[in-house]
Amino acid sequence: MAEAAKILVVDDEPVVIKSAERVLRAEGYDVEGALGGREAILKIEQNSYDLVFTDLKMPEVDGITLIRWIKKSNPSIGIVIITGYPSQDTIKEALELGIIDYVPKPFTPAVLVDVTKRAVEWTAGRKPEEKKITEEFPPAMAAELDRVINDYKIKPGCLIPVLQRAQEIVGYLPPIVQKRISKGLNIPQAEVHSVVSFYSFFTMKPRGDHNIRVCLGTACYVKGIETVLCKIRDTLKIDIGDTTENRRFSLEGVRCLGACGLAPVMVIDQDTYGAMTPKKALGIISRYDPAIAEAVLQETVEEEIVEKEG
Amino acid sequence: MPRLTIEDLQKIKEKHKSDFTLREGGYRAKVTVHMGTCGIAAGARAVMTALMDEISKANVTDVIVTTSGCAGLCAREPLATVEIMNRPPVKYCDLSDEKIKEIFKEHILGGNPVEKYALVVGSETTY
Amino acid sequence: MEKFRANLMLCAGTGCVASGTKKVKDALIEEIKKRGLEEELKVVLTGCNGYCAEGPVMSVYPDEIFYQRLTVEEIPKLVEEHFLKGRPYQKLMFTEPEKKTAIPLMKEIPFFKHQVLRVLRNKGLIDPEKIEEYISRDGYQAEARALTQMTSEDIIKVVKDSGLRGRGGAGFPTGLKWEFASKVKSEVKFMLCNGDEGDPGAFMDRSVMEADPHSVIEGMVIGAKAIGAHKGYIYVRAEYPLAVKRLQLAIDQATEAGLLGKNILDTGFDFELEIYQGAGAFVCGEETALMRSLEGKRGMPRPRPPFPAHKGLWDKPSVLNNVETLAQISPIIINGSDWYRSLGTEKSTGTKVFALTGAINNVGLVEVPMGIPLKTIIYDIGGGPKKGKKIKGVQLGGPSGGCIPERLFDLPVTYEDIVATGAIVGSGGMVVMDDNTCMVGMAKFFLEFTADESCGKCTPCRVGTKILLDMLIDITEGKGKEGDIETLEDLGRDIIAASLCGLGQTAPNPILTTIRYFREEFESHIRDHWCKAGVCRALTTFWIDEKMCKGCGACLRGCPSKAIVGEKKKPHKIIQELCVRCRSCYEACKFKSIKIMPAKYEGEPSELVGAAEAVKEEA
Repeated sequence: MAEAAKILVVDDEPVVIKSAERVLRAEGYDVEGALGGREAILKIEQNSYDLVFTDLKMPEVDGITLIRWIKKSNPSIGIVIITGYPSQDTIKEALELGIIDYVPKPFTPAVLVDVTKRAVEWTAGRKPEEKKITEEFPPAMAAELDRVINDYKIKPGCLIPVLQRAQEIVGYLPPIVQKRISKGLNIPQAEVHSVVSFYSFFTMKPRGDHNIRVCLGTACYVKGIETVLCKIRDTLKIDIGDTTENRRFSLEGVRCLGACGLAPVMVIDQDTYGAMTPKKALGIISRYDPAIAEAVLQETVEEEIVEKEG
Repeated sequence: MPRLTIEDLQKIKEKHKSDFTLREGGYRAKVTVHMGTCGIAAGARAVMTALMDEISKANVTDVIVTTSGCAGLCAREPLATVEIMNRPPVKYCDLSDEKIKEIFKEHILGGNPVEKYALVVGSETTY
Repeated sequence: MEKFRANLMLCAGTGCVASGTKKVKDALIEEIKKRGLEEELKVVLTGCNGYCAEGPVMSVYPDEIFYQRLTVEEIPKLVEEHFLKGRPYQKLMFTEPEKKTAIPLMKEIPFFKHQVLRVLRNKGLIDPEKIEEYISRDGYQAEARALTQMTSEDIIKVVKDSGLRGRGGAGFPTGLKWEFASKVKSEVKFMLCNGDEGDPGAFMDRSVMEADPHSVIEGMVIGAKAIGAHKGYIYVRAEYPLAVKRLQLAIDQATEAGLLGKNILDTGFDFELEIYQGAGAFVCGEETALMRSLEGKRGMPRPRPPFPAHKGLWDKPSVLNNVETLAQISPIIINGSDWYRSLGTEKSTGTKVFALTGAINNVGLVEVPMGIPLKTIIYDIGGGPKKGKKIKGVQLGGPSGGCIPERLFDLPVTYEDIVATGAIVGSGGMVVMDDNTCMVGMAKFFLEFTADESCGKCTPCRVGTKILLDMLIDITEGKGKEGDIETLEDLGRDIIAASLCGLGQTAPNPILTTIRYFREEFESHIRDHWCKAGVCRALTTFWIDEKMCKGCGACLRGCPSKAIVGEKKKPHKIIQELCVRCRSCYEACKFKSIKIMPAKYEGEPSELVGAAEAVKEEA
């Protein structure tokens, strides 16, 4: 980044904005402030920023809502949260939304400068080729991972639970994550890898924004999941185990979701959908992606034309 | 909850029974929405929400709404059981938010089971 | 507590007393004595029922019959009709004021009528997230009794005498398993619960963990006391998030209430319980593999002996029970082994939960006494086939089980009778198949499963299942050869004999049973290149019988590859070169004019159609 990074600081306490401005401007950053989520949204609509620092607890539009909105409308902006209440739950939620790091309040200038530097580097490194799978992960994720490793370390047989949490945090288990876990738990990397590759729950490939899991159990087989699966494959142009090019969906086949009463069954993220037909499945998937909705609509129109002609 | 003794178990049982038995001056009706994985996938949450809305709109206080696990007949989910004081429970199946609203007016407030949505009346054989 | 056949809840509220409750009560007691029913019927005076206008009123439990306007004169008739002849006395029964209700009773609906709920005793009745509700249904009473009044030997004896067998698949007697572990001397032992439920088509364990988590916990505490364990794990599939959430909540509540954890109920007995989430591997249903997985390693089985009762988790004595087994423990402790044996057969006692799915009307979870015929489960409870279809068979026991044909449906469901057919009871998944299912395809489906899930440790299983699968794929693609069936059988038997664990030892079962009962389907695939169910695309031609086609256009509209042509009200035709054999026309046709023919079928097919119809009729 040749120019100074442009940073927006969002907090309902003016004093926080003031002090952040003072510290960061001294380091050569271009800093502005917003006194709440609403003001921040208006500012982001009009200007472009590289980084947004935001508080979580704010009246009206709170931090989490703001992060969600940024992730949707301006995904290239890096986000760091400043919070006086670093509870595990809110941090976890924010991490899931893809923040880079967090600064606990009150902060010292040194901490703020340090975090900012890392965040700017991270954002800059990611910007040119956003879709590329990076071999790095944000410092906040790394910190969270280390925390999990430390929590579980003393327990016997903790490798699988740690891998599960790690997959929740990072989304998948690339070699760099496995390496960190191997080091942290003092288990040979080969053993970590052997466990990751043994269980179908673990994946070494990144997943899309939405994970579609299609049940391949007996009841679903008898009730015709095959045709549903074919339709999904054809429409998304991916096979089981793959992710679409735009990283919107990944497709997984699972052994049995234990909802045989509703066969054939498909799960998207956390929601279970039963009694699927190819058409119904597409209708549901299109709720997650407008582009697919258009394709489905197109098909229906064509069908209607055929019907009229017939 | 404090640590229990064996006598406490019996006391809790009796207290719970007296608190939740439908009676005059207490609760008059009880609705159980069956919310296992199947039920939720079939739309039990929407049914629950619609029911809670109706109850708050009608401003009634003598109806308890509770959730429970799978009712077993997955093919007919979402299911709910409506119990009115002194009557055997009625199980409704294939529910939707519209249907539960009708059941609320007719059965829970009016006392007349809605036959067209009802599956069965009575309790199952245990043991 | 004494057990009465029926409780007569007579209202003694102010209103009813004013209308004559007292006299009615005396008359009732006198009549009951006269008929010699005093040991069976109990008259209870209750508080106000709120239905004072029609008093005196009385409810009869468990029948749930409500009588109103009772008079002394009517009592003898009522007692005679209801309690001697067993039919409710219509005259005094409550009817809806406006109209007679037409909602059927439980006993009028076969789905409910044949079921007896022991495992699922709290199904739909309690809020699984509130411990008080479980306690109010006699929850933790058995635990209290086991910890204060029973020795380890007492508990083991009751469970052994009950005849309870492991509900996870193999059917090993639970009491015996506990006895082995209890006799091993060790400071550290483990009580484990298998909630991995890997069998596709079975979901009873998920349902129990979701709907009644405390019943599993209570069973584990009792088991822990019996074997002398102080630490336990529940191994749950990661695919069951709701079950994990509710179990965790239940563990927290029970621990807080002193029903779990340190010094349970102040008896000095400790038992700590944790949930361990599996990571998706079918083989982890096998006990030694599950224990490896709990240790954080690849879940591969190891040879037995040593059995887990001696060397299990971290080489300590361990007992692993299935969710459904554990949920049965507390009623057995409360009611005794004779009560448990009162249902079921000599060797297969009590009840079993089945997950009834597939091509059937009433899909669901059902609990029935063991020994009930398959027919009752499938036709009465399950409501039989979908309209216009015919049931071909039922798959029992998942990838380790087999397919039982319709003609054997008189068979009682017991461990022994089912094993004799080549299938197993397994965890209780029952997937019903109709004439839309290709049995060769079904066998292929299960082999795909086991070949993929084989952990790879032993060669017979790893290589053998792959060869079986390749042969089946060939057969479904029209590349089958004479002699393939015999090779499948031979190889299948070898794999059973030579494999290390239960996965390999049972993997060929689906093939062997389908060959045994549906051999003609394999033959027609190999010889005639004809999949008569129209499932294997390479072995099917869809053909429209012009005599039956009404030209309605339903098939034409549904065809995804636009392979059907024809004018309205004139017979349609399928252009075979364009057809992708997706079956959608076959399903769409209301006139049964679309026929399933062998591969590469052309021309005037009248003879073959005739032959096919005849075959269908016969079936």
